[in-house]
Amino acid sequence: MATPQIMKQGRVVPWLYVLPALLVIAIFIIYPMVNTAQLSLTDHSGTGSAANECLQGQPCWGVLENYRYALTNTEMTTALRNNLLWLLIMVPFTVGIGLLVAVLADRVSYESLVKSLIFMPMAISFIGAGVIWRFMYAIQTGANEAQIGVLNAAITGVGAQPVAFMSSQPINNFALMMVGIWLWAGFSMTILSAALKGLPGEVLEAARVDGANEWQLFWQVMIPMILPTITVVATTLIIIVLKIFDIVFVMTGGNFGTEVIANRMFKLIVTNVGRSTAIAVLLLVLTIPVMYFNVKRFQEQEAMR
Amino acid sequence: MKGKLFAVVSLMMVFGLMVTACGPAATPQPAPATQAPQPTAAPTEAMAQPTATEAAMMGGIDCTGVSSGDTLSVMYQWSGAEEEKFNTIAKPFLDACGVTLNAESTRDAAVLDTRVKSTPPDVLFWPSTSVTNLYGDQMQDLTALGAHTDNYASFWTTAGMMNGKLLTLPAKADIKTIIWYSPAQFDAFGYSVPSTFAELNTLVEQMVADGNVPWSMGMESGDATGWTGSDFIQDLLLTQQGPDFVNGIIDGSVAYDDQGVQDAYAIYQKWASDPKYTVGGATGTVNTAFLDAIYKPFADPPEAMMVKQSGFAGGEIVKQFPNLQYGTDFDFFQFPGAQGMQGGADYMFAFGSSAATMAFVKYITSTEGGANWAAAGFDESPNTGAAGNYPDEQLAKKSDMLANAQGFTPDLGDALGNPFSSAEWKAIVDVVQGGDISTELAAVAAAQKESLAQ
Repeated sequence: MATPQIMKQGRVVPWLYVLPALLVIAIFIIYPMVNTAQLSLTDHSGTGSAANECLQGQPCWGVLENYRYALTNTEMTTALRNNLLWLLIMVPFTVGIGLLVAVLADRVSYESLVKSLIFMPMAISFIGAGVIWRFMYAIQTGANEAQIGVLNAAITGVGAQPVAFMSSQPINNFALMMVGIWLWAGFSMTILSAALKGLPGEVLEAARVDGANEWQLFWQVMIPMILPTITVVATTLIIIVLKIFDIVFVMTGGNFGTEVIANRMFKLIVTNVGRSTAIAVLLLVLTIPVMYFNVKRFQEQEAMR
Repeated sequence: MKGKLFAVVSLMMVFGLMVTACGPAATPQPAPATQAPQPTAAPTEAMAQPTATEAAMMGGIDCTGVSSGDTLSVMYQWSGAEEEKFNTIAKPFLDACGVTLNAESTRDAAVLDTRVKSTPPDVLFWPSTSVTNLYGDQMQDLTALGAHTDNYASFWTTAGMMNGKLLTLPAKADIKTIIWYSPAQFDAFGYSVPSTFAELNTLVEQMVADGNVPWSMGMESGDATGWTGSDFIQDLLLTQQGPDFVNGIIDGSVAYDDQGVQDAYAIYQKWASDPKYTVGGATGTVNTAFLDAIYKPFADPPEAMMVKQSGFAGGEIVKQFPNLQYGTDFDFFQFPGAQGMQGGADYMFAFGSSAATMAFVKYITSTEGGANWAAAGFDESPNTGAAGNYPDEQLAKKSDMLANAQGFTPDLGDALGNPFSSAEWKAIVDVVQGGDISTELAAVAAAQKESLAQ
């Protein structure tokens, strides 16, 4: 039977359908990206060439001068190191804690209570969380002052010396990451919990019948089966962590060796357009592999259907 | 049923947490450095007495050449209470000469730029002299307009000169080279207010020997942490090197890692990082909010003897301890031995040369203009005519200090901008925590070069 005329479409028609979306993407994503890349080659005011910023007797990368700053300046190298630390610590811990809670909560009757407790911080903004944890970590150094920070009140309560969580290195970086984990463990738990609940009961049943204990069941059956979901959670977290800003900005302002890439970018945007946009491009470049991996995996999944 | 109960309980807990989360989130953040020194909010100033104002408004106003109905366009950054104070000051002139004022208030340098390039205002008030570099060619020589330059200290007229023309005079200034203390505590321990840096040093050591903590140096201020240290160090520089040295840092003739700067940092490091000299030592300095630091010398019992902070601290002390009296419970003295003052100032520039402009410039710089400015209580007037006309003791005291100063320097960070200013704050934080002074200052000196190149 011949296809009705109305169902026949030329090569042009599909493009017309996606045109509005393409336009929006072009205006709000492609153009700003290209413009940012252009600005990253300009000087502090965003008008002249970046080469104008070179000082006599100092190393100079010409038009790529802002990238020299982004890759070699000591504050930037601290920021790059810290972002790497955040990745290595916050991502595994957030996924790990989320998975642990998802698996354990599955086995108790008060599951929804546990899950809502863990999920609650997600309802708080980064800024709010930063302010809350500033109080958690607060330290009083005066002779006649009580510790108002919860942690230091507990520490001094058992007779120990108060700890300056925000200003002593290296614990301050880990104290900040703790806030990130606290915020995002709920996200990871929710998604992993849904994945676990979606596992077909027959498979688990079969494994148990075959004599697998719960430990083997977890590592050899559940984990491989929810691995795609774990990857989704991990890649999402990697992107979030690369862009981490609010927590650091609110809690230490990047002082005491806690600087991160996005905070440098924010600090410089008003006073040095070139450097700030070069950092933005650097951040984008760091994110691209993760994005690529995500898209590729998505396509593979589509292909499997 | 059970599931539903849990859902309800969980939901309530979520809301409960959100409510508690909102509390701390709404806590106001410490104001950044540039906004902090705004003494206009000090409650004492609100008591400006109208009788004093009226009394000061007597006197002749020179309206030569002005015909009634002339207009005068003015541009400034003031708004709200500040703008009202300016209007109070301008009113006697406007009434006497029959001039109509067209005022425009903006903080936006871009708006100023557009106006100057199309229809410049007759008179501009701006908180920085840097506009002379941009629009100096269009500006009028204030001496030619008839400004009473003899009412100003020579360092003001020297600073306002460019290519042989006097382009600007200060309309008002607010100094921050001061230290707050409790006269009651000083009396109790038999301390007297030091007048030289050597005396200050002796006093500090005496306090330590007595088991008192001399300083409250807390400086935490979010991502602006370090600015109170920057003020302190600039006062040390003004004491030990003088205003020319500080202005040299601003024009680049003195590198920020100069031995003089290193010496000032050494003193600062000694005081700010040792628990004998400051509340909590280095940890206390970097973790204590600058507002909390202001309260410490006035708490009961006091945790420290002195706090170095700008004029706005007076208002903060009254807010925190409403029962304390200025003069007996809290007071301030000039940073001992300071050869010049640091602070913020609003400068006057003229683009027009009409009769009304000339008359206005003459009025503002005249003895009457200075007196009226003081009577309105709009910060300190550098005009010598201001003396004795302030409605507020604290302003009068600061004005005396300014009148006796041998120089005036703007805040280094404000004058040089970034990247200098953030590099300076970072170096201060690092030095307090034991960083090597010469290494840290080398980085700031590099940033100083970058700032100057911009």
